[in-house]
Parts: sequence; C-alpha cells; structure tokens
Amino acid sequence: MRIKLISIFVDDQDKALRFYTDTLGFRKKQDFPVGGARWISVTSPEGPEDLELVLEPNGHPAASAYQSALLKDGIPCTAFESMAIHDEVRRLKAKGVVFTMEPTAAGKVTIAIFSDTCGNLIQIYQQ
Amino acid sequence: MPSSVIGMVRFMRSSYNDQITRGNRRALLRLCRARELLADVRSPDVSIEAAAREASLSSFHFIRTFAAVFGETPHQFRTRERLTAAQRLLACGHSVTDVCLEVGFHSLGSFSTLFARKIGLSPARYQRSLRCSVFVPDWTPHPPSCLLWMGGTEAIAVFEKTLRRQ
Repeated sequence: MRIKLISIFVDDQDKALRFYTDTLGFRKKQDFPVGGARWISVTSPEGPEDLELVLEPNGHPAASAYQSALLKDGIPCTAFESMAIHDEVRRLKAKGVVFTMEPTAAGKVTIAIFSDTCGNLIQIYQQ
Repeated sequence: MPSSVIGMVRFMRSSYNDQITRGNRRALLRLCRARELLADVRSPDVSIEAAAREASLSSFHFIRTFAAVFGETPHQFRTRERLTAAQRLLACGHSVTDVCLEVGFHSLGSFSTLFARKIGLSPARYQRSLRCSVFVPDWTPHPPSCLLWMGGTEAIAVFEKTLRRQ
C-alpha cells in the first residue's frame, strides 16, 4: 500500500485547474467528466512524478462547510514543500497570488500561506 | 514601473496582497463574511455595496481584493453560487419556475439562458439527464464513493448495474 492520491475540495473545478496549472505551475494529469463533475488531477513537475493532487468538487454541504470554516480561521488545508520558498513567493506574487502569511521562520522550517482562489489556504514550507 | 497592461494589473493586484497580509486574520475574516453574504441565495437582493460594507472596504477595493483572493469577482461568485443551488434543487425534483425564483432570478428566460450557458444544458434538460443517475433524496445524485469517479463512466456504469440487481 502506498500514498498515490491526495485530494482537496475546490469551489469551482475550472477555476481550480487554471490556478493549479497556470499559476502554481503544476501539470494536468487527468481530466474527464464524471457524474456532473470532473475527475481532475495534477502533478508537480518537481515530483514525485506519480503523486496526484485531485481537485475535488465541494458540492456536498459538509465539504463547503469544512472549507469555509478552515478558511475563516486562517488554517491551510494542506502544505506543499518548496526548495526555495522566497523565490517561490516572489514568483507567485508577481502572478497576483494573495498571501495571508509572508515567509516566516518557524524553528527549522520557513512557512508561508496563500489563497488558492478556490476557497482554500495553502501552506508552502521549506525545511 | 510595469510596462504592459498585464504588468499594471499584476502590480495593482500585488498591492492588495499587502493589504490582506498586513490586516491579516481580521481582513480575511471580514472578506469571508462578505462572501457568505453573497452566497446566501435566499437573500438575492444583497448588493455588492452591502457586501463591501461587511468587508469594511469601498466597493472598488472590495471587488479587487475579492477577485485576488477568490479568483472571481463578487458578481461572478454570486452567479455561480445561485446556479449551483439551482442544480441542487433541480436534482431534488423542483420545477424550473420554482427553482428560478428560489435562487433569486426574476425572469425565467434569463435564468434558463444563463443556466444553459454555464452548465451546458437547459434547466429542464439538466433535470431530465439526472433521471438515469442514482438518486439520493434531498441531495445530488452520486455513487456511494466519490473516489469511484477515478474509474470514469465505466466504473459508474458497473456500480449502477449492481444497484439495479439488488
């Protein structure tokens, strides 16, 4: 058994695909229609090659409630690792990404938090 | 100075960035409250100005900050929320006219046109298309596990076949 998929809820799958590919720079791996929504996954060009992030619709009331409760309290729903967090933040800001936390040193890691435009906060960190 | 129009837009958006980061939690919280106000399809007459007041921003700043954080304008967000609610109500079997009024549209024609443009089917055809799916009362039709979706339509067909046999 191994970890192959990680999924996050998004409020609009089209918008999410645009943000995660055009802005963050991930690559579209799968995108096909199912049951009124789509199965969309992306991978990072920095690897691991086969670890997919699924952009899941938040249609169920519990999913949107979960999203907005975390967002309101400023809690990120997941975290991505960066090898050069300061460059990454500069690159993303130039593309209009809004940060709720500037790169901040916290012990052995530096963390920053941004809005993914789909109702989530995402943390990036460098160890 | 940014040289192109896109550069200028990016320059403007990055300045909203600072506003959110500086005001941090409180600014984000206020923006979330304004978003909830717009998401409430039962009060369709909430103006963008009223939502901006909830966020303690001028309409101008509200629209731009909202778009930078949520990737769409307040108006686009509200329209999308209404259409999502409409899909849910149609799935529950309510009539197109009832759904149209319930989600805050005053004209059936503009509701149907907008719905068809965004969803790809007219409200009536959308409702008919759901009859072949599995139906969970009071909620949208879906297979027992969303993760079944990764198998695509074939996996869902297999599931539906099993269900019919029961």
